Amino acid sequence: MRPSKMTNSEFTAELKNTADPVERLARHYENPAAEARSAASGKTPVVGITSNTVPWELVRAAGAFPFIINTGNADCPDICMYMEEGVFEQRIRAIFGAAISGDLGYLSLLLIPRTSEQEYKLYLYLREVARQDPARRIPPLYLYDMLHTRSPESYSYGLQRTLRLKERLQDLTGRTVEDAALIRAVVESNSARASIRRLLRLRRRGPRLTGAEALALIGASFFVDRHEYACLADRAAALMEDRNPLAGKRLLITGSSLNHRGLHRALEKHEAVVVAEDDWWGSRSAGGDIDCGTGDPLKAIFEKYYFDAPSPRVFPFEIADAWFQEESADGIDGVVFYLPPEDCVAGWDYPRRRRYLDKRGIPHLLVRENAGSVSEECHAVIEKFVRGIGRGR
Amino acid sequence: MPEKQLDCTRAAGEHQKSWFARLREDVFQKQRPYAIIQADMPFELFHVMDVPVVSNQWWASIIAAKRLSGHYLDMLNSMGFHNGLCRYCSLAAASTLAEDPERAPWGGLPKPALLSARLTCDCLQRVFAIWAEAFGSECVFLDNPGATELPVRWWELSRRRWRELFEEHRLEFTVIQFRNLIKALERITGRQFQIDRLRERMERVNRQEEYFDEARHVIYAAPKTPVRMHEQVTNVMAAQWERGSDWAVQHARAFRDEIKNRAIQGVAACPGERVRLMWVGAGLWHDTDFYTAFEEEFGAVFVWSMYLAFGPDGYIRYGLDDPLLALASRTVSMNEQLHNPPWANEWIVHQAKLNRIDAALVLTPLGTRPAATGNRFIERALEQAGIPVLPVVADMVDARDWDPDAMRRKVSEFLEHRVLPPIPNARRHVS
Repeated sequence: MRPSKMTNSEFTAELKNTADPVERLARHYENPAAEARSAASGKTPVVGITSNTVPWELVRAAGAFPFIINTGNADCPDICMYMEEGVFEQRIRAIFGAAISGDLGYLSLLLIPRTSEQEYKLYLYLREVARQDPARRIPPLYLYDMLHTRSPESYSYGLQRTLRLKERLQDLTGRTVEDAALIRAVVESNSARASIRRLLRLRRRGPRLTGAEALALIGASFFVDRHEYACLADRAAALMEDRNPLAGKRLLITGSSLNHRGLHRALEKHEAVVVAEDDWWGSRSAGGDIDCGTGDPLKAIFEKYYFDAPSPRVFPFEIADAWFQEESADGIDGVVFYLPPEDCVAGWDYPRRRRYLDKRGIPHLLVRENAGSVSEECHAVIEKFVRGIGRGR
Repeated sequence: MPEKQLDCTRAAGEHQKSWFARLREDVFQKQRPYAIIQADMPFELFHVMDVPVVSNQWWASIIAAKRLSGHYLDMLNSMGFHNGLCRYCSLAAASTLAEDPERAPWGGLPKPALLSARLTCDCLQRVFAIWAEAFGSECVFLDNPGATELPVRWWELSRRRWRELFEEHRLEFTVIQFRNLIKALERITGRQFQIDRLRERMERVNRQEEYFDEARHVIYAAPKTPVRMHEQVTNVMAAQWERGSDWAVQHARAFRDEIKNRAIQGVAACPGERVRLMWVGAGLWHDTDFYTAFEEEFGAVFVWSMYLAFGPDGYIRYGLDDPLLALASRTVSMNEQLHNPPWANEWIVHQAKLNRIDAALVLTPLGTRPAATGNRFIERALEQAGIPVLPVVADMVDARDWDPDAMRRKVSEFLEHRVLPPIPNARRHVS
């Protein structure tokens, strides 16, 4: 894999010479802002999004280029002026660093949803830095306040907030968001979802691709035009269908979100294959399609994100755990709980989910290290775990 | 335990203890329903439905003061909840999960009819659901809409212009949630909610907070503080947990009167006061002696914490024609007001200036991360206002990593090197 953070022109030149769809998607994954920067230089308004619960279709229908921010600037020295050490996740710190250092200056809007409480705090922090220090090139900010509790009032509130977002995006691009444009965007995103699901099918019984490969192939969907993505992902899937099944023990990862491949690589070094992850960056990125058959595409789009997007704020446990319970009991050889030192949320779910696995005799392992740099000691524990679990449950 | 100088403080302590004994008696013997709720909940709804409430944070502070937090948190860790999880909001739950009422303060918490919390962080629905399951009790959550209109000097708008300050859509959403909570309370009690009772209660809360407002004026106008910070906290919070009750209003008045008399008579809590300190954050419940540890050597007195100051600015609401909406405005932004930019930093600097603060200690509780946010903004704002800051990384209830001697040395060095040299500044208070 080429190192990330190539310049735009280097990236475009490289990509032109790459015919292999697997390689192309992997390069998009490793250069997540390349397409966005290219769109911005072509005068398309670019909307940077901090996580998965923003309706991509709405931004697209407004004529902007939506993408998830997965680059950042965790090394920005000014972060510690504002952010408490050990309080925010690395990814949120990196986004904050990128925003205050001017790295996100090409964005027309930085759209922050309520996927997690940390993102709400990110919004408040960035607003305050912008107020105190207007010289910093922080992009315009918008809080998309869709809440995740499952109640009629949260539903209505979220739908209203989605209408306000539509108005904000119309102001941004100067384009009225018609139903026809929403439906076109839904068709485009549904095609990407179908391609992701095709890739996901290749991961389960008799997996044809490693988890590290899968994470890149799926994750690329957040950074590129979804029509292009669907074409590439379908071609990639077609190529992989001809592969021989991988022989490793089949693992599922749950816990904190993983926006990189460190843990997957560490596990797969030890004759395991990560076949699923309880994470919007991987197996849970696509979910079901949006059905516009009701005649109200905006509502249909909202409902997709309200009912079918993972978030640490989804509650109650029966809903929050449903995916995990179903998937972990479906041909998985073992489960890895990933709770890095910075975790202060997923750890509350660990004893309950562990009990669920114990009742069914499903082996599990807890990883409490930062997966960005797995220690030798942790490698040894992983190796022992993988060796000790049975195959083909 | 630090010295109690005020009669009020003794009365507050006795009241809380007897209130809790009565609660246990009512619950165990008369099967009276009660609730456990998060500190930022609308207590008033429970009060007007005659449902006594135990605040999660109050119970945690009691456990910490009894030096039991280490035991319960170790037990929580042994159950598989790792030690990086929030402690302030989970300590009381841990005391239930331990299933050891003999060891718990005052016999422990009886089974509540209801638990309830606002979702101001991603842990709370988890902690409260686990807790409710352990009790076999119902749990009601209020979701927390985000603020996007953030006028900096919020305290100038909160009493009379609260409708515009807190955003219409947030208030309406919160009121709908209140109605759901009321339905749960009606079901539990078999009683009907009466809006007029709420209005009367809110009016009494206003009166109580007006007494506290007068009290804080007395404190910052006096040459030397007539009441130490920790006694402010004890008195204020005893009343706030049952705000608007006859006892609470009377206690607020008695507190005001007592410190007013002390001020008139020129009684200082610490006659040698030379340095006025501010404590930013929740109280250090496991080591309240800390707050008087710097008086003798340095004349450094803690004179301010959020507990007294927030009552008047955060709670008073005039214009109670729609008391539910007014209550929503009191509830909906507490976290932003107390912890997050721009509201927390601007308010705290304003308070520091009013109170002629010389230096501030800011608690960053890594064991309770939601309460740790916003602190760098607060520290920077104070420093920019000329007030030296010592960040204190510690937990408010977990004493396991707290080294009292080391921390006292650290504060002493801070006072010696950053606070005491500008003597003219310190003399200002004496004159």
